Amino acid sequence: MSTADNCSSQPEANASIGRMDRPAELTRNIDVSNLVDSEGGLIDRSIYTDHTIYGQEQRRVFARSWLFLAHTSQFKKPGDFFTTFMGEDPIIVTMDKTKKIRAYLNSCRHRGVRLCRADAGATKMFTCTYHGWSFDLAGALKSVPNEQAYPEDFDRNKWSLIEVPNVQIYKGLIFGNWDHAAEPLEETLGDMRYYMDAMLDRDPEGTEVMGGVMKWELEGNWKLAAEQFATDWYHVNMSHASALMVLSPTGRGPKPEIVATPGRQFVSENGHGAGFPTHPKSRFDAKPVHEYYDYEMLRERLGDAAVEGPMTTGHATVFPNFSYLPVNGSIRVWHPKGPDKIEVWAWVLVDKSMPDDVKDAQRLYNLRTFGPSGIFEADDGENWSEIQAISRGFVTNQVPLNFQMGIGSEKEDGTYPGKTSELYSDAAGRSFYKHWSKLMNTPAWHEKKEEA
Amino acid sequence: MTQDATSDSKEFELAGQLVDSELSYRIAQFYFREAELLDDGRFADWLEIFEEDLFYFAPLRTNRLRRQAALSIGREGEAAYFDETKESLAWRIRRYDSGMAWAEDPPSRTRHLISNVTAHWVSKTELSVRCAFLVYRNRLQTETDIYAGGRTDTIRLREDGSFGVARRELLFDANVLQAKNLSTFF
Repeated sequence: MSTADNCSSQPEANASIGRMDRPAELTRNIDVSNLVDSEGGLIDRSIYTDHTIYGQEQRRVFARSWLFLAHTSQFKKPGDFFTTFMGEDPIIVTMDKTKKIRAYLNSCRHRGVRLCRADAGATKMFTCTYHGWSFDLAGALKSVPNEQAYPEDFDRNKWSLIEVPNVQIYKGLIFGNWDHAAEPLEETLGDMRYYMDAMLDRDPEGTEVMGGVMKWELEGNWKLAAEQFATDWYHVNMSHASALMVLSPTGRGPKPEIVATPGRQFVSENGHGAGFPTHPKSRFDAKPVHEYYDYEMLRERLGDAAVEGPMTTGHATVFPNFSYLPVNGSIRVWHPKGPDKIEVWAWVLVDKSMPDDVKDAQRLYNLRTFGPSGIFEADDGENWSEIQAISRGFVTNQVPLNFQMGIGSEKEDGTYPGKTSELYSDAAGRSFYKHWSKLMNTPAWHEKKEEA
Repeated sequence: MTQDATSDSKEFELAGQLVDSELSYRIAQFYFREAELLDDGRFADWLEIFEEDLFYFAPLRTNRLRRQAALSIGREGEAAYFDETKESLAWRIRRYDSGMAWAEDPPSRTRHLISNVTAHWVSKTELSVRCAFLVYRNRLQTETDIYAGGRTDTIRLREDGSFGVARRELLFDANVLQAKNLSTFF
C-alpha cells in the first residue's frame, strides 16, 4: 500500500500557528543530556515527573513525530469521522469528499471551543455549538452567522480549520505529523516495517478493527508504557506469572525452556523497538487463530524468519506512543495526560479475510488478555502506577533507573533486518530514550532559529 | 409458582408483568448475597450463581451525536469491557488463586451496592431483572475507584427453587473508564 502524501502545501490557515509572537518565557527548554545516559543505561526519574519537561515533550516530541491517529477501516464513506489526540492536542480525523483521510485540530477557529464532541460518527459539516461557525470536510469555513458585522477585510479562507499537514498511511494504520517537512512515514519506520508486517501483512486483504476503542486511564508517565512495549520481555515471567499460569496447558505455568526462550529484540535509531521469542513452542495465540493460519503460505509471504519470530508472540512500540501486540491483535496509543497520567486507547485488530468465527476468537482473546479487564494488562498497569505514585519523593526521584541489560549486544545478526539484541535486553529502551533525548534537545519546526 | 401448568403452548399470562412482593424480596436478597460474596473475595462461590450457558457482557459506550445515539452502546461481537462465558470467568478467577496476580495483591477493598431492582416475568421459568450498581474500590493507601452502572439479568428459576443467572449485561456509565483496570466483578 502506498502512502497518501499531502505535505505539498501547508494550508494557509496553518500559517497562523504562533503568529502572535509568544514571549519566550512561556516556553522554557531544558537540556536533557544529563537525564538520559543511553550508553551507560541510566535514566533520571525526573523525565517522568517534571512539568517543564512534559511541556517541552509536547512541543519537541509530539509536535514533530509521526503519531497514530486511527485505522483506515474506521472510515468507509466521506464524512465518517473519529476524534482523537496528538499529544494533548484534540484532533478530528475524517474522510473528505475525495475519500482522502484528513486530520484537523478539533478546536473552532473563532473562540476555540472543541468543535466535535462525538467520539465517532458521520457528518457533512462540523458546526461549533458556541456561535455557529461551520466547517466542511475540507476544513473550510463555510458559514459565519452575522458575517456582515466583521470588518470588510475579514476573509473566511484565513479561518479554515488548522490542518495536520502530513497524514500518511502504512498498511491500514493512519499516522499524522504536524511537521510539514517531516521525513516520510515509511522512512521513519525503516526496518520497523518488517516487524510490523508480521501483524499487518499476514493477509493480502489487510486488517480491520472490530468495534470501538477501549479507553481507560491510569497513573503513570506515558513513556513507562511505551518503553515497556518497545524493549521489555524481561517483565513477562514475573509480572504476568498468574496469567501465564492459567494460559499454560498444564495450568502450572510455562516450562523452563519456554521461560528461557531465545529471541531477538529489534533496536531502531528512530526510537522504535520490537521483541519476540524464536522458540517454536513459545506461543500464546488463540487456538482457533493458530489453526486457521496457513503457515506455509505465510512463510512464502513474509519469510521464514518473520513466521518464526515476530509472528509468534511479541511486543512493539512505534516511537513515540503507538504500541502493538501481534498475537493478541491489540493496537494502542498511550495518550499523555500530564506527566503522571496516561489514557490508554486500545483497538481489536483482525485480518480481513478471517472467517467470522476466527475473528471472534481473536477478539475474545484480545479482550481477555489485554484491555481494561485483560489478565495481562491489569498487572502492567499496577507496576506503572506504583513507579509513578512514589516518584514525587525528593530522594526517590533522584535515584536513577537501570537500563543496563544487554549493553553492547546490538548487532546485525544476518537474519533479522536492522540491528537486533537479545530477547531479554534493554537495548530498544536505551535507544527509545536516546531518540527522545535527541528530539528534546533539538528545536522543532515551529521554533524560531535563535531559540536553539 | 402459581401459573397454569397446562398453558405451555399459550402465551404466558404474566409475561411483561412485575413479580409479586415475595419474589421481589427473594431477588433482592439474592443480589445482596451475591454482593457479599464479591466483597468477601469468594469468587468461586460467586460463580455458582450463573447457569452453564452464561453470557456475561459489558459493551463499550461512546459519545455520539444525538441523531446517531443508537450507536452509543457497543454491540455483541465488538470490542467490549467483558464478553465472557462461565468458563472464561472461571479462568479469570483461577488467576487470583495463583498467588501472583499482582494487580490484586494486596487485595483491594470493594463494596458492591445494588439498588433500583425491578423484575419482570419473561416466561414461566425466566425473569428479566434490572438494577443499578455502584462499586467502590479502595486500594493500597488512597487509590479509589467508583464504578457506576446498570445491570440487566436474565434469571432462570431452577427446579430446586433457586435462581440462576443465564445472561448479564453490564452498562458502565463511563466513556473513558476512570480506573486503571477492571479487576473485580460486577
